[in-house]
Amino acid sequence: MVTLEKMAHLAQESRFDSLGPAVSIDPEKLGALGEGTRHDVCASTFSPQSPALPGICHAFAHDGRCVSLFKTLYTNYCGHQCNYCTNATNCSRKTRAFSYTPEELVGITLSLYRSNYIEGLFLSSGSGQSEDCIMEKMVETARILREKHGFNGYIHLKVLPGADRSHIQEAMELADRVSINLEAASASHMNEICATKNYESDILQRQRYIRDLMSKANLPAGQTTQLVVGAGKESDEEIFRRVLYEYQEIGVRRAYYSAFSPQKGTPFANREPQPLWREHRLYQIDWLYRIYRFHPQEIEHAFDENGFLQNSDPKMAIARELMDSPVDPNTASYQELLRVPGIGPRSAQRIVALRQRQPVAGKAELASLGVRIKRAAPFLKINGWRDATLEMWSA
Amino acid sequence: MRVPENFLSYLSAHEDCTERLLGRAKGLVAEDLEVSHDAELVRLRKMVSSVQIEEHRMKAFVRLKSLGPCVLYGYLKPRHRIGAYVCDHFARKNPKLIVVLGNGSESWISLYFDGKILHDRREGIAETLEQLRSNLPCSDEGPDAKSIWRIYIDSQYCPLRKNAAAFRRRMPRRDQDATGLRLVPNKNGVTLDDFFGKD
Repeated sequence: MVTLEKMAHLAQESRFDSLGPAVSIDPEKLGALGEGTRHDVCASTFSPQSPALPGICHAFAHDGRCVSLFKTLYTNYCGHQCNYCTNATNCSRKTRAFSYTPEELVGITLSLYRSNYIEGLFLSSGSGQSEDCIMEKMVETARILREKHGFNGYIHLKVLPGADRSHIQEAMELADRVSINLEAASASHMNEICATKNYESDILQRQRYIRDLMSKANLPAGQTTQLVVGAGKESDEEIFRRVLYEYQEIGVRRAYYSAFSPQKGTPFANREPQPLWREHRLYQIDWLYRIYRFHPQEIEHAFDENGFLQNSDPKMAIARELMDSPVDPNTASYQELLRVPGIGPRSAQRIVALRQRQPVAGKAELASLGVRIKRAAPFLKINGWRDATLEMWSA
Repeated sequence: MRVPENFLSYLSAHEDCTERLLGRAKGLVAEDLEVSHDAELVRLRKMVSSVQIEEHRMKAFVRLKSLGPCVLYGYLKPRHRIGAYVCDHFARKNPKLIVVLGNGSESWISLYFDGKILHDRREGIAETLEQLRSNLPCSDEGPDAKSIWRIYIDSQYCPLRKNAAAFRRRMPRRDQDATGLRLVPNKNGVTLDDFFGKD
């Protein structure tokens, strides 16, 4: 314990480098450029600083989504013709064009960060007059934050399609995470949704740059990507195959999915919106692959004959197809336990730890370890005994 | 595994923690709490979890205002004894700035300076801030983060995704109250103007 007076003295010594610059705000600009990222999905997973600060959910929007970053566009002026986007040149109801300056963005970010509204900055942008010019400004923003103001928070920089390799490298030196949006599952689907982006050279090649530069740069949260689900009429299986490629060949840390929602004035204004459950089910199979370590051939059992997921738990669908006999929690391996609906990584770990001390005696014990008994029981055999219910077929 | 190795420090911060419970927990390791289905150990596990959750939410929900160039302050009235931990967290995030958290009856003060955390603990936050005012150049004028945030968060709203149940689950009213947030309509019309009046 020290005295308040001593703390006051120490703080006063450094008062000139403590707070950020004064901020003047154009509310219309702040709203318009924020709105440009409302379909972007992101998460601040952790901060690379020492000591490490855990990722924190600072606030939730009315839809329950966590908003822990200041997500904004640098500019909403864009030369591309994405058929789903209100900032595209072919949108007939474009909003007024705005751009920040790096100093303005720095001021807003520091103000929100100091007040604990955000964990960091998520900076995306339209292409402006040229991708490289805008990338330069985005990098400059991150540089001012880090180098001039000693900003320790999280920074996620979007790499613009077609951006120069040197700008990507600079972004990677300053950010915690970089990403470039795939948007579509293949080059043909990209042609369907955007005539001005070359899938191979503008996007995939940039992802490979990031992968190759990763060994030189300290990019603690890696690279990610995002797809617009349903805009190009692709199937879930096509999306999954693309994402597998991303995980295995590009080394993305994770993929995000955003269900297509038609916007007025865009060429896709009259297309059917995609149900939000489709996005949710894609996240579930993504989770099965990344966290539960399901083999892709197992996950394929979740798709119907047209390559789409049904609006039901894909893990349950896979279990019904592949689990011929019930699993005994006293003898099953960790991986076998994970394949039982109602058992997740944490409860599987607890079961393995418990049975090193004593055998699992019954369902009540499993419930206390976090197992969702109603879902799991039809697939379990505890000490030779098994529930004979119809849940296995109707759940 | 969920129970942390240092679970005793969380347990001792719980509002209902007694010497007897602490004595019961002292001979245990984290895995004992994690996998046991003994009723008392399950209770201890829930107590540890309750403190962890509140600490996490307080770090997330507290909003800070600046008092001149050297001080950040915010309202905090946790159920468990975690005020000092939360205050230290904000001090580490904002080196060289004095961070004051508290309510009408108690306040915590932390400063992260030259790699060290300095602490103090006082009575009500109003008195603490008054003492700081007399020692430091202070003014209530600072960047208006709250109005920036309101414009920004409105821009992120997607009506199609509205999910009030998820919002309530993730931002419980009780934890909002503990940090002085008023994101849920308040029937009594209490606002942040009542900040210093809370006891």
